[in-house]
Amino acid sequence: MPSSAPVDADTIYDAVIVGSGVSGSLVANELSKQGFHVLVLEAGPGEDQTIRGYEKYLSRFYEATSKDNNSPYPANPNASMPRSPAVHSLAAGQPDSSSYLVQNGPFPLDSTYTRTLGGTTMHWEGKALRMLPEDFETRSRYGQGLDWPISYDELAPHYRRAERELGVSADVQDQAELGIPFEPGYVFPMQGLPASYLDQAVAAGIDGTGVRLDGEDYHLKVRAFPQARNGIPNAAYDGGKGYVPVGAVSTHQVEQGERCQGNNNCVPLCPVQAKYHAGKTLAKALAGTVGKVDLRTQAVASRVHVDHVTGRVSHLEYKAYADPGSPEHTTHTVRARLFVLAANAVETPRLMLASGLPSSSALMGRNLMDHAYLLTWGLMPGPVGTMRGTVCTSGISDLRGGAFRHGQAAFAADIHNDGWGWAGGTPEVQVLDLVDSMNAFGPDLRRGAVDRISRQLLLAWMVELMPDPSNRITVDGRYKDALGNLKPVLSYNIADYTLAGVAQARSLSRRLFQRLGVEDHTDYRPTDVGYVSYQGEGYVIRGGNHWSGTHVMGTTPANSVVDADQRSWDHENLFLVGSGSMPSIGTSNTTLTLAALCLKSAEQMVRQLRDETSAVELATTTGSAQA
Amino acid sequence: MSAQTRLEPFLAFSSRVTAFTVFELQGTGQAAAYLETVVGVVGEALLGDLLSIDEAIQREADGDAAVRDRLLRARIFSDERLGPVARHIIKLWYLGTWYALPKDWHEVFGSVEDDVTFVVSAAAYAEGLVWPAIGANPPGAKGPGYGTWAMPPKIPAF
Repeated sequence: MPSSAPVDADTIYDAVIVGSGVSGSLVANELSKQGFHVLVLEAGPGEDQTIRGYEKYLSRFYEATSKDNNSPYPANPNASMPRSPAVHSLAAGQPDSSSYLVQNGPFPLDSTYTRTLGGTTMHWEGKALRMLPEDFETRSRYGQGLDWPISYDELAPHYRRAERELGVSADVQDQAELGIPFEPGYVFPMQGLPASYLDQAVAAGIDGTGVRLDGEDYHLKVRAFPQARNGIPNAAYDGGKGYVPVGAVSTHQVEQGERCQGNNNCVPLCPVQAKYHAGKTLAKALAGTVGKVDLRTQAVASRVHVDHVTGRVSHLEYKAYADPGSPEHTTHTVRARLFVLAANAVETPRLMLASGLPSSSALMGRNLMDHAYLLTWGLMPGPVGTMRGTVCTSGISDLRGGAFRHGQAAFAADIHNDGWGWAGGTPEVQVLDLVDSMNAFGPDLRRGAVDRISRQLLLAWMVELMPDPSNRITVDGRYKDALGNLKPVLSYNIADYTLAGVAQARSLSRRLFQRLGVEDHTDYRPTDVGYVSYQGEGYVIRGGNHWSGTHVMGTTPANSVVDADQRSWDHENLFLVGSGSMPSIGTSNTTLTLAALCLKSAEQMVRQLRDETSAVELATTTGSAQA
Repeated sequence: MSAQTRLEPFLAFSSRVTAFTVFELQGTGQAAAYLETVVGVVGEALLGDLLSIDEAIQREADGDAAVRDRLLRARIFSDERLGPVARHIIKLWYLGTWYALPKDWHEVFGSVEDDVTFVVSAAAYAEGLVWPAIGANPPGAKGPGYGTWAMPPKIPAF
């Protein structure tokens, strides 16, 4: 059970994990399975460990007048989170510090994360894509970005474990056609989710479209995305053993969520928990009997202390608060043999930098990546049932890789079953416009709603962004949150390499709309947040919530913050885990890959915890007491 | 007027301006809550005026839909005092949300306490009529079931 009681200062845990999101929960579960005593610190509240708590999120969402992707989660100045309505256009040279994430510019990034039990997997959409093998070596292959210190083949077994843990529904054939190798006979835990009627209408119009990029021909095909969302179990999974989907978790018996119901609300919250969230893994970790997992919620890690003799982390400080509405708090110290920072790619480097630990590479917080999203939207010739199904079932993935990546970013496109919402054209907006501006009522209003909503098509073009040391998270003594912790300061810009991909996506979108007979309603205005001009044409670029790269992994302490096991080069008992370790993200949503990385790292943590003698423990504790 | 006698003309007007039957409006379970919301914000007198004018329009139109719509536009929707409230009643039914009245309405007809934008209740959100109008479920509620999204939409005739 989550508790906000202070940790016993005399306990030396085997591992302390900061963050209860997907990374932290996976690591906690793996270590606990091996018999270790683990403490998980979560900065936010933990009301979703019960069904009643989870339903509180749902009613908060229902009752919210602004239904942005953090609307189900309570405002909490003690562990604040970025929210879309708080992102504004920036004036040159003037940082916007009006909300938790300080935007230093020049580009204002509308990306969010969630600080609550289960982390951002509470509001994530659930796409669970493997990266392409070439994504691991973009520097050697295309002269762009950074190579990973490990290959796709080395990560593949961990991808398989991650697909089991997250519960992925997909068809192998569809993914294999993209050049992703799978072991012979592999099937995903669950069958691919059926394509929406909208997907089928788009596929009928565009499948086979030829695209020529850098002298090579590509042919488009609408295909389903792998999703961490419950579907029909594959009887052939695991050598014929099959798979049992994990539905809603709770401290009380509850049976729901073993199949997706098509609630069209993956973001910001699946009402039945058919979508994976880290609480599912955490529930297993807490229930485990081999080791022991303690969980403290409303406990904000505030400082990492290093023993300057051994270079090891000696202890961690955290601030505990009883009431999110009051900054009153107490500060506590916690000791462990191993420390794991799993707070996400913004909060982890923020904590390290606030602790005066920029890494000997000076790369802490740098190389920040996200996906640049370009939205294009229009109306299909007739009703296609928009606003049904999961938020997204299918898209275009054929341009995720290829030799053209020498000169421009790769990209993919999602077909949004939830229509124009992301572009600000929700059903609510349509009804208000019909009533207030079109003066429609009665039958005209009903017909108008069908005409304007059921025909909506929105393509979200995910364009890759390469690591750039000047895109970064820093801290600045001028900016503190309610508990006195330093707020993250973001500096971000979008390089021409990515913008070339954006322009290509826009031009391809025009062709696809022409094939489909779609009325193009795409509209980018210079006053829109995220407006950029590239080669004479304007675009609006949105963030993808795929924060990554900020404690980059590499081959030496000089070129990276962590090694291939996500272990800090500087501090041997410190692991920084999550998408912050990723040297590139290609055109994959980051969660499945970071889950695979965490499972890989957990193996190293277990080895390390087993190998270390008690003499080392004693030396460390004594050393830190003197330091 | 008792709540029950007010409810009937309120539902009759609501049905005309939403193009959903009184039976369907009753089926949302929200009629009383919406009536209470409107009365709570703009007061009984204003709503009473709106509903009496609507009744007069019905008598005058005598079943001719074109005449009725013209009169609704002329006497209610274009009326500075009643128009914004009438539009807000439509929005209540379609979206389950009361929207704050425009600033110039307040300036002319006096400021009204409690006039802020709010979702009437969690249930009201899920009962918004825009969803049945387009043959879909409200996002996050009334999930129609695995795989239903692969079938053609069923947009109800009216």
